[in-house]
Amino acid sequence: MFDSLPHHFRAHKLNADVRTLLLLRRALEKGLVNTIGDMYVLLKGLIAKDVKDFGPFAVAFYDYFLSIEIEKGETLESAVLRSESFKDWMEKYLLEEEFIDEKPSPGELVDKFLNEVHLTSFDIKKILDGQEIFNKDNPDLDDTPGENDPESDTRRLLEKAADYQGISVEELLERMRKIADKQRDAHSGGSHWIGMGGISPYGHGGAAYGGIRVGGKGGGKNARAVINDPQFYPVDTKVPLTDNNIDVALAGLKGIEEEEADRYLDIPGTIKTGLKRGGIFLPEEKEKITQKLQVALLIDNGGWSMSPYIRTVTTLFSKMDKRFAHDMKTYYFHNTIYGGVYTDERRTQFENIEKFCSLHKNYSVFVIGDADMASYELSAGSVRDWQKITERFDRIAWLNPMREAYWQSSDTVPSFRRLMEMYPLTPQGIIDAVLDMNRKRRFYKL
Amino acid sequence: MWTGSAQYLCDPELAQAFHMARVLGMPLLIEGEPGTGKTELPLQFAADLGLNMHVYPVGSKSTVEQFVAKFDHVKYLRDSQVEVLNAQREERGLDGLSTSGRSTENLDDYVLLGPAAKAYSEKNSVLLIDEIDKAPREFPNDLLYALSHRKFVLPESGRVITATEDEMPAIVITSNREQELPTAFKGRCIYHYISFPEAQTMHEIVRRHFPDADDELVDKAINLFYQLRRAGMERAPSTRELLNWLKYLQTFKKNVALDRIVKRHGLGVLVKTEKDLLKAQRFLN
Repeated sequence: MFDSLPHHFRAHKLNADVRTLLLLRRALEKGLVNTIGDMYVLLKGLIAKDVKDFGPFAVAFYDYFLSIEIEKGETLESAVLRSESFKDWMEKYLLEEEFIDEKPSPGELVDKFLNEVHLTSFDIKKILDGQEIFNKDNPDLDDTPGENDPESDTRRLLEKAADYQGISVEELLERMRKIADKQRDAHSGGSHWIGMGGISPYGHGGAAYGGIRVGGKGGGKNARAVINDPQFYPVDTKVPLTDNNIDVALAGLKGIEEEEADRYLDIPGTIKTGLKRGGIFLPEEKEKITQKLQVALLIDNGGWSMSPYIRTVTTLFSKMDKRFAHDMKTYYFHNTIYGGVYTDERRTQFENIEKFCSLHKNYSVFVIGDADMASYELSAGSVRDWQKITERFDRIAWLNPMREAYWQSSDTVPSFRRLMEMYPLTPQGIIDAVLDMNRKRRFYKL
Repeated sequence: MWTGSAQYLCDPELAQAFHMARVLGMPLLIEGEPGTGKTELPLQFAADLGLNMHVYPVGSKSTVEQFVAKFDHVKYLRDSQVEVLNAQREERGLDGLSTSGRSTENLDDYVLLGPAAKAYSEKNSVLLIDEIDKAPREFPNDLLYALSHRKFVLPESGRVITATEDEMPAIVITSNREQELPTAFKGRCIYHYISFPEAQTMHEIVRRHFPDADDELVDKAINLFYQLRRAGMERAPSTRELLNWLKYLQTFKKNVALDRIVKRHGLGVLVKTEKDLLKAQRFLN
């Protein structure tokens, strides 16, 4: 069951494996999963282990369980709107519901659909407890006297929720297995999970007006709000860095690690061997690893081609201030370096290359710039300056905001790539750069 | 299923993730902005259900020994020396020195239990590992065995403390994301990210803390609070700061308090750096 699940989620660069399957099975045995909303919460907890995973996870989940494929850069709403699952659900929904005024807009329908998808047993319990219903004022009901009776509304909701809750685990598994089968044959169309009747309350006959509403004015959760939250909205880790995905990039930067070796007196060891020697205590030494992290930034802040990125880049790294404390240094240059760098944004305070290279070898150096200029600007002297820097610092990476596709056609980018590793200035690029830096871990005593 | 208490509004998704973690006997790893109630969850849960609570605040010097159990080498050395000494004193007819009932034969006497060992030896207790991101890198990795086998082996004495899946303590681990946790470690936890509450939810949170607060005052304060959060400050104010601010405002009469909101008095409770304060003032004007 769900054999293809780890593979599918791994294809979205998520960590899913046999352990995920075992835990999922245990959760099913323990009755934790009663609705597809429960499945979402459970798998999210098991598979998505970072904010940057939430986007890919949502994409993978919608694809695997609902056959909703969210294309790169597409909004959730449009992906839902063109999916078969939604169309099936909508047909049923529109048939079963009587609309007093006019039909709901596509946006409202998507909301409703998502609310149903994300209905969890937790929500059902809340509805059964009756809290949600009485807290909620239902504007749709105001025009129709008789319908306005909260008790009948409650009863119907209860019936529906009960319907939902009554599904046994075996039944649910059976249905999900079928969904998974269908998934393999993506173009089958037709009977998607909604059409299977059952997982959605609308699959059952005698649907009541209003359906189960989760969230809304009564508080609680609105599925769409959760998904469309920038925090949760599929973040494409390959698009250029913007304010929106800066947190994702930050998560990547936090991976920089550094350790430093030191020695200290091992008291427990001394006592142990001393006792063995019959009371003659000789000091034993032990290696102690402490962490130290030092970062130097070299930012190209000259020229109009870099200006759109300066603010985002400085925000990103200023957010890191807390982490690096006193060990982060920022320098500026224009296009390339000639003999040295500047310590202020306006490039008035010059510091020569020897001074810069006097920073400790343990510094991780990030160079941020488009590396694109007229070839005569990149003089032999400038190249030598860069070489001095790359010789001094093992951990150095160039982050380039220019689209990777254009790198080859630039006059100077290939020259810089011969000097050091270059990564695109995207969340993914930063993560790759940091990982490569960590691999080059080498320690020098202070 | 536990869904929050009178003072603590628990996001449904968080409540569900917590429930799942407890049923599966896995730790719940909570990340999120500071001041969103990460630490509050286990505290409120334990207080609400009357469970025993064990807290381990993680720091940069944290070790697994402190967390699980420590062998007191110095006491052990002293007692073993005392034995030799006492034998000599006995020959001379003197009273021996006391070891307070400890015996060097019984290594367990020298094991000091840490919060983890205590929590595992009690049924259904609650264990909070606070701010694990402050720990040295090897700390989370050292916990892997205990987390996946529900078992601690005490140092030196070799005593084993185990918990069954049903009696597992509810473990909550919080992190401020100041450093990345190892993948293998995260793999053994249920992960939840607390997002910043919407204004609507914030009203409810405030209500739970100050049931008697004036509506107009709360509305205005929350309004200004969210404006400030949009000002793009380096350190945006958090729930904790809003609650402190409201506490402060409530010490005044209503009209004075409202006036203070309008005149932006006491913003220092919300804004913590001078740079941000300037930014906030510019933004609000």
